[in-house]
Amino acid sequence: MRPGLIGAVLGKEMRDLLSNRLLLGAVAFPALIFAAIPTGIVAFIEVNDLDPNQLGQIADYLRMFPDLPPKLAAQGFIVLNFMAYFLLIPAMVPMAIATQSVIGEKQARSLEPQLATPVEVSELIIGKAIASALPAIIATWLVFVLYGLVNGAIADPRLTNLVFSDTWLLAMLTLVPLICLLSVLLGILVSSRVNDARTAQQLGSFIVIPIIAIAIAGFFSGQPTFSLQQVIMGDLVVAVLIGLALVAGNWIFEREQILTRLG
Amino acid sequence: MIEVAGLGKRFRSLTAVRDLEFVVGDGEIFGILGPNGAGKTTTVRMLAGLIAPSAGRARINGHELGIDSQRIRAVTGILTESPGLHDKLTARQNLGYYGRLYGLRGRELQAAVERYLGVVGITDAADRRVGGFSKGMRQKVAIARALLHEPDVLYLDEPTSALDPSAAKSIRDFVATLRDAGRSIIVCTHNLDEAERLCDRIGIMRGTLLALDTPARLRRGNGNATVRVDLVGARRPESFMDLMASLPFVTAARPLDGTLRVEVRDPRGDNPELVRALVEAGARITGVSEEAATLEQVYLDLVGEAGERDARRVAA
Repeated sequence: MRPGLIGAVLGKEMRDLLSNRLLLGAVAFPALIFAAIPTGIVAFIEVNDLDPNQLGQIADYLRMFPDLPPKLAAQGFIVLNFMAYFLLIPAMVPMAIATQSVIGEKQARSLEPQLATPVEVSELIIGKAIASALPAIIATWLVFVLYGLVNGAIADPRLTNLVFSDTWLLAMLTLVPLICLLSVLLGILVSSRVNDARTAQQLGSFIVIPIIAIAIAGFFSGQPTFSLQQVIMGDLVVAVLIGLALVAGNWIFEREQILTRLG
Repeated sequence: MIEVAGLGKRFRSLTAVRDLEFVVGDGEIFGILGPNGAGKTTTVRMLAGLIAPSAGRARINGHELGIDSQRIRAVTGILTESPGLHDKLTARQNLGYYGRLYGLRGRELQAAVERYLGVVGITDAADRRVGGFSKGMRQKVAIARALLHEPDVLYLDEPTSALDPSAAKSIRDFVATLRDAGRSIIVCTHNLDEAERLCDRIGIMRGTLLALDTPARLRRGNGNATVRVDLVGARRPESFMDLMASLPFVTAARPLDGTLRVEVRDPRGDNPELVRALVEAGARITGVSEEAATLEQVYLDLVGEAGERDARRVAA
């Protein structure tokens, strides 16, 4: 594995990505929306000084924050409850970039000249995977930090501590990159079967369904966010799915197969 | 040097290429002619280390195909059928990227990029995105990309397609200089005129090599030359047919449009004897010239025959 060649592929992909404003918008926009909605609710509660007892069903959940005053507990619940949606960014964005990249190469027939160089297929794939995953990881981490700091500044520093909990720090450092990798792999696999990026992204968008289902299930089960054990379990499940994706797509690392399927 | 022995490639039940045998020496341009689907691209892909052969072997500059594929790719430059450029990048960025993939760095990379931007004449457009380039300019960038790392072996698939005549000539002249620099070059083309002008030897292909020789010898076809004898006077060309049949060096003869078409093995040696015999028999000759078949005729005959054979094989 030669870092110089991976760096060359990564550099080219990043240049390509930076020149695509629409795709960059697609990276930044969902991340900001997922952060802005709960932050807006927190600010609304802060400004309007709502009585949390009037918040209906949520009032039942406030007992989960016995150390916090009711208003802050309501804000804490809102802040934590939306955090599962941060996992949608690493699920959606790398797939969008990977499919765009691979199908773009397919349409331009630019894979063959690259495969004709001394670069190893694994170096090419790793360069592309990092380039597809990096924007989502950076966007998720940036928004995560901003989310914690802004909500803490709006309401109370204790909200920052809720966001930057051990559970979510672990999720950011392990689950987010793993979901990104799975998303990239699925993006490449789907791209081998279809010829336009929109179809590939539509097929790939099924990856977000389990995450949304988990978030909704968490809400109805009265658990506002993941536990540490659930994050570790999530890491394991995603790792297994990555393994399955690699088995299904073992051709990804064969020059001839890439040329035949993607070239 | 490229040495190919019994090379073949199957894709499941389809045999794309079979029993290829040829050698391309240093400083030689070898042309591969063939219709669409003849296996030209598959052959080049095998020789460039992109796909594995199903049968046979090949050595590229001493590196064994299938064993030293990475080294083969390092000494090989390839111009693919489609330029395959990265449209969002400029010409300079495209070349810089491929230079890095070929292991060039720093000043060496910069110098190579500048040199080949100049060689193909696109220095002025070097910082424009190639997505806005014409077909010809894209082809030039792709040619520069194939040469960037100074490869010993070069595969050019339709190198002058999409180029205007003067650009095509400059590319042909440049390819000729690469031959003079001792490189082994394979050119795949449909352009028979280009193949004849550029190539030292030509292989006509349809699944396998149907013929392989210099352009001049290929034009001769069966090895005989056709000599056209223009006659005037009262005696018709038909009246000399018995004489033609009696001459040992004449392999065939026929009258056509008031002339005689005579096939001989060695026109330089046989023509004086032919003329002497005809004059002694009373012929009044106004002209003698050698009629060579065009490469196009040879190509169409060979490819047509192979096509009929394939069709018979499928039907059987």
